[in-house]
Amino acid sequence: MIGSPDLVAFTKENDFGDANVDHSLLPEEFNVPPFPYSENENPWSKTSYAKFTKDFILISEFSEQVGPQPLLTIPDGPKVCGTFDLNYFSLRIMSVDYQASFVGHPPGCSYPKLNFVEDSKVVLGDSKEGAFAYVHHLTLYDLEARGFVRPFCVAYISADERKIMQQFLELSAEFSKASECLKTGNRKAFANEIEKKLKDLEYTRAILHKETELQKQSNGCFSTQAIEKANELANVEKSIYEHKDLLRQITSYPNRKMKDPDFLPYDSENTVESTDLGQDPMNDSKPQGQSDSPDIKRSPSYTPQLIKAKSAKCFDKRLKTLEELCDLYFYHQTMDQLKQIEKTFRGDLCYIYTNQIGQALLKKQKVTNFLFEDYSSWEEEETDKDTYNEKDNLLNNLPPPASIQAGEPVSLESFASCVETLHIKMDPGDEVKVFQEEDSTEACACDVAQGLSDECMDAMMKGSLSSGESIEVLGTEKSFKAQGPQLNETVTHLSPHYPVTVRKRIVTKRANSEDSIEVLSTTDSIIPEDLRASYPCAIYEEDYSDTGEDCTNNMHEPIFSINSDTVAHNECVYDAATLVQVDATCCMGQEGLSYRVPAPELAQECSANGVVKQEPQSCRQGDLALQVDFTLDDASISDGPVSSITPYELNPNCLSDETSRMTLDDCSDSTSFMSTSTCSDRTNPPFLYGSPITVKQKKKAGQCALRFIRQYPFAQQAIHCLLSGRPLIVLGSDERTVKKLVSALSIYVPNLGKYGESVKAWLSSPFQLTDLQIWKLIGIHKVTSPAGFSILHSLKRYGRYISILDADQKTLRCPPYRGTLVERLADHRTQIKHGSTYFLHAQSSLTQLCAKAFLYTFCHHLHLSVNPSEDQEVVAARRTQFLRHFSCDPEDGKVLQFLSELIKCHYLRGPGKGVNPPIFGFNYVTSVVYKI
Amino acid sequence: MSSGCPPQSPAVAKTEVAVDGACPLLAATFAYWDNILGPRVRHIWAPRGPPALAVQLGDGDITFLANHTLNGEILRSAESGAVDVKFFVLSEKGVVIVSLIFDGELKGDRNTCALSVILPQAELGFYLPLHAICVDRLKHSIRKGRIWMQKGYNIVSVLTSEIIPIMELLSSMKTHSVPEDIDIKDTVLHDDDIGDSCHEDFLHKAISSHLQTCGCSMVVGSNPDKVNKIVRTLCLFLTPTERRCSRLCKSDGSFSYDTGLFVQGLLKDSTGSFVLPFRQVLYSPYPTTHIDVDVNTVKQMPPCHEHVYTQRRYMRAELGALWKAAGEDDVLPDTVIHTDETFTPDLNIFQDVMHKDTLVMGFLDEVFLLKPGLSLRSTYLAQFLLLLHRKALTLLKYIEDETQKGKKPFRSLRSLKTDLDLTSEGDLNIIMALAEKLKSGLHSFVFGKPFYTSVQERDVLMGF
Repeated sequence: MIGSPDLVAFTKENDFGDANVDHSLLPEEFNVPPFPYSENENPWSKTSYAKFTKDFILISEFSEQVGPQPLLTIPDGPKVCGTFDLNYFSLRIMSVDYQASFVGHPPGCSYPKLNFVEDSKVVLGDSKEGAFAYVHHLTLYDLEARGFVRPFCVAYISADERKIMQQFLELSAEFSKASECLKTGNRKAFANEIEKKLKDLEYTRAILHKETELQKQSNGCFSTQAIEKANELANVEKSIYEHKDLLRQITSYPNRKMKDPDFLPYDSENTVESTDLGQDPMNDSKPQGQSDSPDIKRSPSYTPQLIKAKSAKCFDKRLKTLEELCDLYFYHQTMDQLKQIEKTFRGDLCYIYTNQIGQALLKKQKVTNFLFEDYSSWEEEETDKDTYNEKDNLLNNLPPPASIQAGEPVSLESFASCVETLHIKMDPGDEVKVFQEEDSTEACACDVAQGLSDECMDAMMKGSLSSGESIEVLGTEKSFKAQGPQLNETVTHLSPHYPVTVRKRIVTKRANSEDSIEVLSTTDSIIPEDLRASYPCAIYEEDYSDTGEDCTNNMHEPIFSINSDTVAHNECVYDAATLVQVDATCCMGQEGLSYRVPAPELAQECSANGVVKQEPQSCRQGDLALQVDFTLDDASISDGPVSSITPYELNPNCLSDETSRMTLDDCSDSTSFMSTSTCSDRTNPPFLYGSPITVKQKKKAGQCALRFIRQYPFAQQAIHCLLSGRPLIVLGSDERTVKKLVSALSIYVPNLGKYGESVKAWLSSPFQLTDLQIWKLIGIHKVTSPAGFSILHSLKRYGRYISILDADQKTLRCPPYRGTLVERLADHRTQIKHGSTYFLHAQSSLTQLCAKAFLYTFCHHLHLSVNPSEDQEVVAARRTQFLRHFSCDPEDGKVLQFLSELIKCHYLRGPGKGVNPPIFGFNYVTSVVYKI
Repeated sequence: MSSGCPPQSPAVAKTEVAVDGACPLLAATFAYWDNILGPRVRHIWAPRGPPALAVQLGDGDITFLANHTLNGEILRSAESGAVDVKFFVLSEKGVVIVSLIFDGELKGDRNTCALSVILPQAELGFYLPLHAICVDRLKHSIRKGRIWMQKGYNIVSVLTSEIIPIMELLSSMKTHSVPEDIDIKDTVLHDDDIGDSCHEDFLHKAISSHLQTCGCSMVVGSNPDKVNKIVRTLCLFLTPTERRCSRLCKSDGSFSYDTGLFVQGLLKDSTGSFVLPFRQVLYSPYPTTHIDVDVNTVKQMPPCHEHVYTQRRYMRAELGALWKAAGEDDVLPDTVIHTDETFTPDLNIFQDVMHKDTLVMGFLDEVFLLKPGLSLRSTYLAQFLLLLHRKALTLLKYIEDETQKGKKPFRSLRSLKTDLDLTSEGDLNIIMALAEKLKSGLHSFVFGKPFYTSVQERDVLMGF
């Protein structure tokens, strides 16, 4: 009886239930899916098939005993590969016939020959498992292995195939380095092993020799035992010869590979394994020539052993582990390198790739990178500063930076500022005088270091230890080129110049004039010369009144005394009849004309006080390209009586209200010196106290920033303050809250510095006006104590220059802001969910801002006359129109102008010279209080 | 080559391909895993002409290397129809091998097959940017070849139809690819003022559309200098790798259109006409912008999700037609589609640029304010590109957050536009296009569902 189940076996699959299938239709296995993504698929799910969640590195071996086997993963741990079958995948990646070259006894050669095979690289995958790998095959040497070789592979395993192929060159380069390191360690260990074996063999030979002699003596030369012993001895002799040859081969390898840049030479004669991992065996290595010698240097610690005639069977012996196959130092180096590779390529490809593109693009915009970018994008520039002009000028056709042209500091006063502010000038003229011989980096740091120098000076006089410590630490100038370290370094150079005996406190008095302008004056007891030496930077308020020839001339005097070379140049700049030195790229010289016009009152004050108020003229004398360029294009622009044009006329945005100048010394009021703070309190960078700020930290700050924007409706006003250069004080009694707010706001601080020098996260002592030049964002401890009183006093005293965010009261006191620029950057209605996403958004917005500032700075039409008949008013009007086009609100224009000032400063000073302009700007705009 | 190579298969057919200029390719092979004999090479394609490369391979070497690619594939457990890619850099041999592993029916047995391309290792840097293009094109050729194998025909003819164009592509790229670093002086951005070389609005449209179509454009014209200037200008907005996947036009005779290149310059014939290769353009991974520098017109293909949809339909129609083909001679890729009655391609795939943007417009307005001849414009361009890339990454991250990495549908496009300042449709298109290159399939994920639904509804209605 045949039942239906029996019949099923005779039917074809297709006949069952597929009666209505149209065979003319293409089966799906030959087709492409109609939609790129089905219901459950999405762009992120392509990598979700894999049984592991994150990329990892796998080291596998083709064991001669058990076949392909996984050895270890990086990172280590069972969670790394999840349920992914490492055994199966090892089998797959090791089954590639990677080793085509012959190893062992070549035909016609009776001795084993080591063949140094090149590594091979393979990208393969298992689409079913969703695992793809970059596999780096390498061969290690083992005296006990078949053919002396142990095949290994190191694989980078990812669920994203595209990632592996797109990063192939990078992966290949990194794995090649790691492989070369491992192989170097292996050659060293292998040589060591051979030498030990040779000792054993020689010891065995000696024993056998004795035994043979004994046999000969007792049984005669031709006895069976004697012949056996003689054969055994001959085998040992042969083995010694072979091993010596192997040793010669392994030690001659470095000569072959010397040309390879990745090659790590090692001392083959240093047979003692460098178990001390802290010790680099390379350091003790002898000259290369010596390493070629096949002579054996015996390790005294090794006791030779007798080798038996028959060795253990193949499967009885234990194969060495990877760690045993390699010198420990190199093994750990390799592991460290592999860990680093895993970290480097961790994460989604789109982030890695965008970062790579970003880095390449940032290299092309070094002039603005210092504003908001990671230090790595502009620090490189500093290290290459010696070759900067040689290479970059040729490649980029950029005019050389100012610092390398005339060998003199740059005068920023010669360049126009359209900032609608009153300028307090930090005059580095004296510093130049004093430190002419010093490195320009250090000299430039003086203007930002003044406050610190005061305090440290004070501390030194009191026998404070802090400054001494600073000196010691800052002796390593290479790693501390940023502002903060420069400060202390400057102090160390400054200190010998301070005339200790005449040192006095300069008590400043405030005279409130009718127009509420703060006028600070020095006491009569102060000797101007002393002031110059002690306080190289000066702050003075500027009056934008007409005339000012006298002042200009007076201001020039110190310059002439400083450097006679600059005289002609200064004349060139200040004499309206002569040609103005300008930077044809950034068109700054022309602006300088408008900016330099001083007020008569100021001039009188200047001369009365005898304070140097004019920096030596910068302007890039050696820049022939600029001069030629300018002469050709805009030669006639200086024809007009520029000095008669007031800043207000040149730039209607400029306030015509009261301005004056004051010396910085004047600002150092008595309360400033009641501070109980130490130097270290003022020099500690805010983030990690000495560590450079990383993008990761900024991303974390993005979370705080997002919270801040959502919580505080006046976030835009606060951010505007920072972007326009107005110092923002975060005041609070809780340190944690204040620091969080400072951290949140720090991402908006232009020119944050490598170590975050522009930010003081926590200050428990009163600040001075000079501090505001350095720190643009300060967290201040609000306490009810004498110290707290002095803090409040300083806040009150400098209230008009700063904005205050009270974390306790949740209020912000700052000038009103009604622009649109920051609205895009900080909209409290934003639906952005994560801080890291917000950071990316902020980064984009700040990039856009940088681009605009760059355009504003280097756009010729905005700063230079287009034709000879055009006067400065037209140029100024054009500038205004540009700012209006950029944003309807003048408040937004201020941001652009401030950033432009910083760019100018950075460009003209050259990289690594500090960026803070000597002009401290603030607005005489009534502040209002914002509340939640 | 080592002397230890196994003997060559007794009768390996070889096709010598005459390629204009030096071909960087050493050979291409089709091999399969014979269940009795192991890896066997079935066919070799090699460029004809003087060997321009240091590495020369004999047929025995080629056989050895081709066999090498099939080693380990006995373990293959991929799904039927899957094409896996293997990539070898064998320093010992000084070669690079790209292998596409697939299964196919040979002589009634299901075998594992490998189509391999062999290049000298010195060409690794040259080849890597072009790898995706070659693989995509070969994969589709393999799809067709599998059908042919299933029907018992010779796959070699199908593979030949793609391998020869790839050899020609690599050869042409060797001489006419756009350099990684473009001198801005060779581009329109070096002009004294906008509009000097070409009309202001044309330049804006061209760059904007070029960015909206993921940096994929064809520049057509009669004057090679003019064409190449625009090609270089458009390439300024690409990454260095993408530039190496772009080609200048040949002044003494035109290249044919090549699928997958980012920007390519093409010359019109002597009559001033240019035949648009519909199939090749449709098979491009991204939509394309068509720029005619003679008449200053800019046309663009629909966005990625529509392009992919149309592309898939065309592919399915083509494969379906091949399945139905009566004989081996009935394979003409460009005509086969017409035999399929279920799909009528819309030949009017290029449309006017509808969406205006502010990003490119602002950039062009501003960049000409900077003085030419210095590096100012290059710097400003770098800033602009950085902005675009950062915005694209932000957009991607925004969508990733909103959808929990695709677990939920994306429903907040309006918020995205406001939050990321992409309210202008053109701006959104540009940033979306850049994000698409970072995360393939993003368009389909964000815009695909409503589009597919509407298309399906339309098809259903048309069926009545």
